Amino acid sequence: MVASGRRGSRCRARGRGRTEASRGDTDRRILPTAESPVTIAPAPSAARSLRRRILERGRDQAVPDRAVLVLHDVTKQYPNGKIALRDVDLVIPEGDFVFLVGPSGAGKSTLIKLLIRDEVATRGEVVLDGQDLARLPRRQVPRMRRKIGIIFQDFKLLPTKTVWENVAFALEVTGYPRRQIRPAVDRVLAIVGLTAQSKQVPAQLSGGEQQRTAIARALVHDPRLIIADEPTGNLDPLISWEILQLLLRINELGVTVLMATHNAEVVTALRKRVVALEEGRVIRDEVGGAYHRED
Amino acid sequence: MLPFLYFSLKRAWQGFWRNAVMSFAATATMVLMLLLLAGFWIIQTGLLAGLQFTEQKVQVVAYLQPNATQTQINELAAEIQRRSDVESVDVVTRDKALERFRESMKAQGRTDLTEQLDSNPLLASVEVKLKDAAALRAVTESLAPEEHPIVRNVINIQDLVERLLTVTNILRTVGTGILIGVGLIALFIIVNAIRLAVVARAEEIEIMRLVGASDAFIRWPFVFEGAFVGFLGAVITLAILAGAAEPLNGFMVDFFRVLPLQIGSMTRDLVTLVMGAGVGLGILGSWVSVRTYLIR
Repeated sequence: MVASGRRGSRCRARGRGRTEASRGDTDRRILPTAESPVTIAPAPSAARSLRRRILERGRDQAVPDRAVLVLHDVTKQYPNGKIALRDVDLVIPEGDFVFLVGPSGAGKSTLIKLLIRDEVATRGEVVLDGQDLARLPRRQVPRMRRKIGIIFQDFKLLPTKTVWENVAFALEVTGYPRRQIRPAVDRVLAIVGLTAQSKQVPAQLSGGEQQRTAIARALVHDPRLIIADEPTGNLDPLISWEILQLLLRINELGVTVLMATHNAEVVTALRKRVVALEEGRVIRDEVGGAYHRED
Repeated sequence: MLPFLYFSLKRAWQGFWRNAVMSFAATATMVLMLLLLAGFWIIQTGLLAGLQFTEQKVQVVAYLQPNATQTQINELAAEIQRRSDVESVDVVTRDKALERFRESMKAQGRTDLTEQLDSNPLLASVEVKLKDAAALRAVTESLAPEEHPIVRNVINIQDLVERLLTVTNILRTVGTGILIGVGLIALFIIVNAIRLAVVARAEEIEIMRLVGASDAFIRWPFVFEGAFVGFLGAVITLAILAGAAEPLNGFMVDFFRVLPLQIGSMTRDLVTLVMGAGVGLGILGSWVSVRTYLIR
C-alpha cells in the first residue's frame, strides 16, 4: 500500500466482510495502483472525525486534494417504502477515478440521483464541493449541477441538433454569453476528437461518437466531477475501451470521475478504486480493486 | 436580460416549428375553444341587448277621458314628468292617435275603414317612458283613475314586464355561469393540448435540467411558445369570425328586425375577449405544463 500525508480514507465498508485495516490507515494518502489493492475500513468514530477534517479541507481552496464528494450515513427510502441506500459513507477526493459496481437494483442509480439532487437523501448528508445538497435551496440547484457533468448509457443527445449544437446547448441554456460559447465548444470537441464531425447530427454518428459528444457536453461547463452512468452499456468492447481511454484522459486533466458500470473486464483491467454496492450498502471500497471480490 | 429574451424567443420559435404537428394540434384546439367561447359570448350579449331594448320599450300608457281639456292633460303630463323614475312623457292627442292608426293600417296594407266614420273614436293618451322597467308599478299606480279623474284607464302590462325582467335576470346569471363554464372547459382542453406538446419534449427538458439550466431558462421558451399558440389561435378565430360576420349580421337583421343587434358594435369587446383568452390560456397552459417538470 502506498500511503502518505493527509488525504484520508475514502474507503469504508459497512456490513459484511471488512476491517482488515486499522484506524491509523485512515489518515494516510492512498494512491490507487494496480500492484497494490487496498481495502480500508476505519471505525465509525474515526471516520466521522475524518469526514470533518475533509469537509474543513474542502472549504479551503488552497488545499489541492480536497474532497469533491462526501456521503455520510446516507439512507434513501422511497415513498413506497423501498430502501434503496442504507448508511452509505463515501469520500471521493479531487482527481480520483472511481468505479461504482453492483448488480441491478443495488442502489447505483439512486446514488447518482442523490449526487445530481434529483432525489434528496432521507437521512445523512451528501456534500458536493463543500455544499450539503439536502440544505441547498432549490434555486441554487441548477448552479450546483453545472459543477457536475453527467453521461448516460443512452447518450441523451437531441436528435435535431448537430454535434456542435448539442454541446453548445448546455452553455446556451445556462445563460452563457454567445461570444464565449464558440471557443468553449471548439475546445471540448477537440478534447474528445470530434472536431471533424461537429456539423453532423447524432443519427449520422456511430455509438462511440455519440457518447463522445455526450462527454464533450458534460465537459463544457468545466465540471468538478464527471458522473458516467453505464457509459459503455450500449457500445461494443472496442468502442467501450475508446470511451474508457477518453475518460481516463479527462481524469488526467484533473477532473474527478465516478463511473457506474457492469463492465467487469474494464474494471478489473484498470485497477482503479472500486466501490461495490449491494442491497443499498457499500460492501466493498477498494483501491486498485477488481470487478469481483478477490479474497 | 437581452440574451435571455433572445434565447427564449428563439427557442420558442424553434420549438413551435420543430414540433409542428403538436403545435398545430394545440392551435386547432385553441381555435375551436375560442370559437365556442366567442359564440356563447355573442349569443349572450345579443340576447341581453335584445332584452334591454325591449325593456327600454316598456312604457305606461294611460288613456284619458274624452272630455279632458288640453290644460288638464298638460298639467298631468307635467306632473308625471317631474318623477325621477320617468324618462319622458308624450301626449298623444285624439287626432294624432287617429293619424298613427291610419299609418299602421297603411303599413300593413289593410284597408283604412276610418274614412267611413263620422267622428274620431280614438282617445287621447299619455305615454310615459321609464328610466327603469322596474318602476312600472309605481308609475302605473300614480296614474290610476282614482288619483286623476281625467284618466280613464291605464293599460296593465305589469305581469308581462315582470316576466320579462325575470327572464333577463335569469339569462344574465345563467349566461354568465355558462360563459364561465365554457371558459373553464376551454382552459382544461387547451392546457391538455399544450401539455402534450410539452410532454413531446420531455427529454429536452430533462437534458436542460441535467446540464444545470435554471427554471427560467426552461420555463420561458415554453411560455412564449404557449403565448404564440394562443396568439395564432386568436388571430385565426378572429379571421373566421370576421368572415362569418357579414352573412351572420344580415341574418340577424333579417331575423330580429327590431333588435339593434349588430356584430360591428361588439367588435372591440370581441377582439379583446378572443385575444386575451387566447394568449392568456396559452401562457397559463404552458406554465402549468412545464411546472410539472420543474417541481423536483
